[in-house]
Order: sequence, then structure tokens, then C-alpha cells
Amino acid sequence: MKKLLLVEDNEMNRDMLSRRLARRGYEILVATDGSEGLAEATRHLPDLIIMDMSLPVLDGWESTKALKEQPETRSIPVLALTAHAMAGERERALEAGCNDYDTKPVDFTRLLGKIETLLSGSSA
Amino acid sequence: MPPASTPETADRPTEATYQSIVEHAIEGIFQTTPDGRYLLANPALAQIYGYSSVDELQGGVKEIARQLYVDPARRAEFIRLMSQQDAVWGFESPIYRKDGSVIWISENVRVIRGEDQNVRYYEGTVEDITERKRVEEELRSAKTAAEEASRSKSQFLANMSHELRTPLNAIIGYSELMREEAEDLDQQSFVRDLKKIESAGKHLLELINGVLDIAKIEAGKMETHAETFDVESMLNDVASTIAPVVEKNGNRFEIAPGPALGSMHTDLTKVRQSLFNLLGNAGKFTHLGLIRLKASRVLQNGSDAILFQVSDTGVGMSPEQSAKIFEAFTQADASTTRKFGGTGLGLAITREFSRIVGGDITVASELGKGSTFSMRVPVRLPGTAAAERNEETRVPEEPHSELSGDRPLVLLIDDDLTVHDLVRRFLHKEGFRTVCAASGPEGLELAGALQPSVIVLDVMMPTMDGWSVLTRVKGDPSLASIPVVMLTMVDNKEMGFSLGVDDYMLKPIERGSFVSTLRKYGSPHASASVLVVEDDSATRELLRSSLEKDGISIVEACNGMEGLRKLATIRPALILLDLMMPEMDGFQFTREVRSRPEWREIPIIVMTAKDIAAEDRTQLDGHVSRILQKGACGREELLAEISSRIARATRPVRAETELQLALV
Repeated sequence: MKKLLLVEDNEMNRDMLSRRLARRGYEILVATDGSEGLAEATRHLPDLIIMDMSLPVLDGWESTKALKEQPETRSIPVLALTAHAMAGERERALEAGCNDYDTKPVDFTRLLGKIETLLSGSSA
Repeated sequence: MPPASTPETADRPTEATYQSIVEHAIEGIFQTTPDGRYLLANPALAQIYGYSSVDELQGGVKEIARQLYVDPARRAEFIRLMSQQDAVWGFESPIYRKDGSVIWISENVRVIRGEDQNVRYYEGTVEDITERKRVEEELRSAKTAAEEASRSKSQFLANMSHELRTPLNAIIGYSELMREEAEDLDQQSFVRDLKKIESAGKHLLELINGVLDIAKIEAGKMETHAETFDVESMLNDVASTIAPVVEKNGNRFEIAPGPALGSMHTDLTKVRQSLFNLLGNAGKFTHLGLIRLKASRVLQNGSDAILFQVSDTGVGMSPEQSAKIFEAFTQADASTTRKFGGTGLGLAITREFSRIVGGDITVASELGKGSTFSMRVPVRLPGTAAAERNEETRVPEEPHSELSGDRPLVLLIDDDLTVHDLVRRFLHKEGFRTVCAASGPEGLELAGALQPSVIVLDVMMPTMDGWSVLTRVKGDPSLASIPVVMLTMVDNKEMGFSLGVDDYMLKPIERGSFVSTLRKYGSPHASASVLVVEDDSATRELLRSSLEKDGISIVEACNGMEGLRKLATIRPALILLDLMMPEMDGFQFTREVRSRPEWREIPIIVMTAKDIAAEDRTQLDGHVSRILQKGACGREELLAEISSRIARATRPVRAETELQLALV
């Protein structure tokens, strides 16, 4: 079973997304801020991290940068979620080291597609 | 009847005439002494300053600097200017009137000097500019207030966007979740209602996005981001994305790209969004009909544009309806919204988008027959540099010549297809062959099969990122010797070099340095790169410009130490070496180079301003090919020398032979 870490501070979004992903057969870990996300990722080495970008304590960009600097977490794909469908956000997320991004509100089918692509890539 | 004037009176105004001009002038006229008293003033001046008569002004004001100027330093400034330039124009200052109120005046004054050149007095005019100043100030503060309001409006919009979407995210998400669960439990009545919540949520989201777009456009906040893309690939991409929507009502969907569409350099997102809107609309208003997407390259006002046409065989519109179809919040008919749904903003946004990118949109429609929307978009976004204009003329596709021939082969691995197109075009012109891979695994396969001269690698790619590709290249003995140049938006050189990258370039691509970097690894002149080790930047620059003209690429190092570091990453055909340098001089550099078997055969030409002493000569003897005296040899001689050395170096010449030629 593939392990996904969902880093999201909004309780409803976290609950909803984790339940929907669990229904699709993923094992879900959650973290509520960037620094907790970093700790969880280092401890459990998930197969993929879904990272909200606007997070308290340590934001998604900083957390991703930190993840990509650690040798043990560097190769874990990070999928950025951003609430602002604004130009430049995508670039900022990719610059920070995210492997792909999706905009909120989440189109669940599209998100699943992206998750599957990233997971199949890292195991290839 | 006007008084008859004689020629004398017209030619020579009398004293009385001057007197009258001064007395009745509207501007204040004065003469003042350097110590700040009035020699002369006219009634207008007295009136401006709030005195009842000239006598009262002259009697009351004994010290202009203190009594009149709000800032006493203004008088000193005035005197300083007068001493420098003998006159001032439009010298503006706040002034106290007699009653203590403040007004603004503007003075035009010149200095009158005696025969001894000393200042006798100043004379000039004064104008009351209080009203003008007040208006200026009002305009300034109105402008500041307007800018402030506009800023808070944008900020408000940005916050709104976030605040509205967040709860909507939950509404849409939970209704989808519950629908899925209801489907599992086979609760069909719940499924139907939950679908309604879900679709209403999505509709609301569409409306919010539309309103925000319109608001951004109206606030002038809609920005453009130009990028280069291939028109036909964009059309295919748009068509495959929107096809399910267009075909929903049993419609047939045809796409007809015209010949030689070439590429565009404009805002891709806005063009795509416009086409989505037009096609989505066509699909919505057509049942069991035909929807066509056409594109052709047209000439408009002397420049190239792409004409996109979306036609349908749907409900069509009356001329009255067509006339207002592009207005915001106006659908052809109020009942349309109820029947067909939609925000009524799509076409307004589409027109704004097409205008933002320098084009426009029109519609031809007939009730009951269908509609054709024609959107024209210039191939180049207005205001973007025309430097890449040539690239718009399509490079003929030559797939075979890209894979064979003696031109150096560059393998580009990048998931961004617009980069493929861009890089392929300009490398083609620079004498390279380019093969592109859109993903890491594809790139590795091509690298193994083609053994390119150099690999250009993007970092951020889905499935397998650039670092993983790099690790595999460097870990595979059959690929490890192929130089890898990272091309990326991510500035992480340290990581790159530690993983064995040969060069690191940042996006956006700077063409000149990109090409010269590639030349180092896969130059059409074989390995005709020259390492210049020289501490004087002017000399390095001179060598670079001379040699690059001859197609020889240059790698620079400013001392011996740096030279050695460069040698670790490239293998030049020749080293041009200065002797006197900080950190590590040319003598030690030569020894270091000659001590390594892998570098021993690289010819070294010494250029020195130093008069070479016998013992220095001995030190270099047998190790360098040639010593050139700076200044003594001209550019031509140096170039000829380098060319012949490079020609020799690119033939398999044994070190011994080379060394026999050393030192003439």
C-alpha cells in the first residue's frame, strides 16, 4: 500500500482529502503545518507528499526546499496544492523543488491522475 | 474714438507711459535692495501682499527675508541664485501677507549691477500662484488616494479569491465524497441530490472565477506572460481537453489547422482559455450538430496573426443578440441562463483576453443556423522584444538530418515542449543537431542509443527529475563521459556540481551564453575550445571577442588555481597562459598540468609581458609550445598561432612530437 503524507492546515480540507484518498486505497499520514510535515516525512519516508503551500510555522515552499535538501527525503515527489490560481505560483512551487502542482479547489479526478503519475515515475 | 497717435508717440513711449504700465500692471512689479528693502513697488504688489497702498508696503517691510518669506532661507537662496546666474524664473515660495495669511508666489527677477559690478538692486515681477498650488496639491492627493483605493481593491480581490474558494473547496469536496459513499451504499435518491449540490458548487466556483477575472481586467490588474509555443500542438491540446464537453450533446467535433501555422510568442494561458470558452459555448448551444475549430496564419496591418475560428450549427443569434453578446453579464436572452446555464461572463472575458494580447473577436450568426466566432491574435504579444522574430519563420522539419551527419548532437531532456521548440530552432542555426526527450526515461534511452555530444537537462520534471537522470547518466559507464549541462529555473549549482554536472545554466535561457557553453562540449569545430588563464580581465575580454569571432569558444580562468579547476570539467584544445598571476602563477600551473597524465598533451601557449629570463625559460622548457611576448605580437599573429595549434591538436599528435615544436 502506497503511503501518502498530506500536509494541510485547513481541518476540513485535510479531513476531506485524507478520507477520499483513503477510499482509493492509499495509506494516509497527515500533518497540519510545514514543520510537522517535515518531521513526519523524515520519520515515515512516505511515497509521495501532498503539500499545501500556505501553511503556518513553515510554509509549503520552505518545507519543500528543506525536504529536497535532505538526502533521505530528496527523492520523495512533492505535489504542491495552491489556493491561488495565480500566475507565478506554479513557478514558485517548482522552484522550491515541487515535482508537480495542482490548484484548489481540488478537482479530485485530476489530482488522482497526478498522484498516480508521480508514484509510477518514482518507482520506475 | 481712440486718440490719434503721431509717429513720435508710437515710436517713443513717454515716461508717463512706463509709469502707467507699472501702475496698472496685474503682476506685482518691484525693485529691492540686496539688504531686503523696497526701492519701488507697484499697487498690484501691495495688493498681492495684502497692503492697502504702495506706501504702506514700503513703510512696513524693512526686512524681506524675515517679514515676507515663510522660510527666511528662501531669500538667501534667492540671492545665491542671483549671484550665480544674474536672473531667476519661476522662483516659487510661500509668503506671509500683511494679515499673517500665507500665499504662494512665483518671482521672475534679474539683477542690476553698477559699473563696479556690485549689485545695485534686483528688479522683477511677482505672481500670486496660490490657486494653482492648491489645485496641484488637490490633484496630487486625489491621485494618491486613487492609487491607494486601487491597491486596496486589488488586495481585497486577492483575499476574496482565497476566502471564497476555501469554503467552496469543502462544499465541492464533501459532496463528491458523500456521493461516492452513497453510490457504494446504493442510495440513489441521495446520489441525485448530492450531484445537484456538487454541480451547484462547481457553477458557483465558475462564477467566482469569472467575476474575479472581470474585476482584475477592469482594475487593469490582468497581467500577460508571453511564451513561445507551437500553434498546432496548442490546438491539438485544447481540442483533446475540451472534446468531451463539445461532444456532450451528440455533436461532432472537427479541428482544421491551416498550413504553416508556425509558433506564437504570446500569453498561452489566455489564448487557451479563450478557445476553451468559445468551444465550450459552441458545445452548449448546439445539439446533434457540427462544431469546427479552424486556425490560419493571416497578415494584419503588416504583421502576422493567427485567426482562430469556432463555428457551430447551433441555435444562433439575431443581429440584436449578436450586438451585445460580448458585454459582461449579458447573455443573448435572459431565459438563456435558465435553459443553458453558464455565467454570462465567458464571452466578455474572451473578448478582454483577446484584446489584452493585442487582438480582437467578432461574431457572425444567424438565428437557427449557427454562429461563427473569429478571434484574431497577433503572433507576437505587443510590447515584447522583437529579437526572436526570425524564429517565427518555421524551421523546416528535417528529422533525418537531425539524427545523422557530422554536426554535434545535443540531447535536450525537458518536459516543457515549448523549450524543445525554442532550443531546437536556435541550435539548428548555430550548427547543432538537436534531439529532444520529454521525460527522464525517454532521455536515458535516447542517450544510450545516440551517444550525443552533450546532454542538456532540466531539473523539474514529473516522473523522474533531472537529478535522478543525472545520477543514472554518471553511473552508467557507457554514458558517464557525456558532458551534462543543467538548464533550470532552480539555482542549486552546488548540488549540481557535487553530482557531476559539467555546467549549469539558469532559465530563462540567455542565448549567447547557452550557445557558447554548448560549443565547449560539442562545438562544430570539434573540441576547439581554448582555456585562457589570465588575471587581466581586459586581456581576457579581448581574447574572447577575437577568438569567438572565429568560432572558437573560450573558457576563462583568472589565475592558475581556477585554471586547474576548469580543467577538471572541460578538455580544451589549447591553453593560453599568462605567467604573472595571483594565487598560482603560470610556472606552477604548467608544472601541475604537466604532472597529470590526462592533461599532459594539451598544448600551452604562454603570453607574457615579462621579459623572460634564462632560468624562467628553463623552467618552461619542454613544457610549453610557444612563448609569445605581449605587445610584440599582434592579434593576427596570435590568432594564426592558435588556429594552427588547434588544427594540430585536433589531429592525433603524440605528445613527444608536440613538445619538439615547443619553444622557438
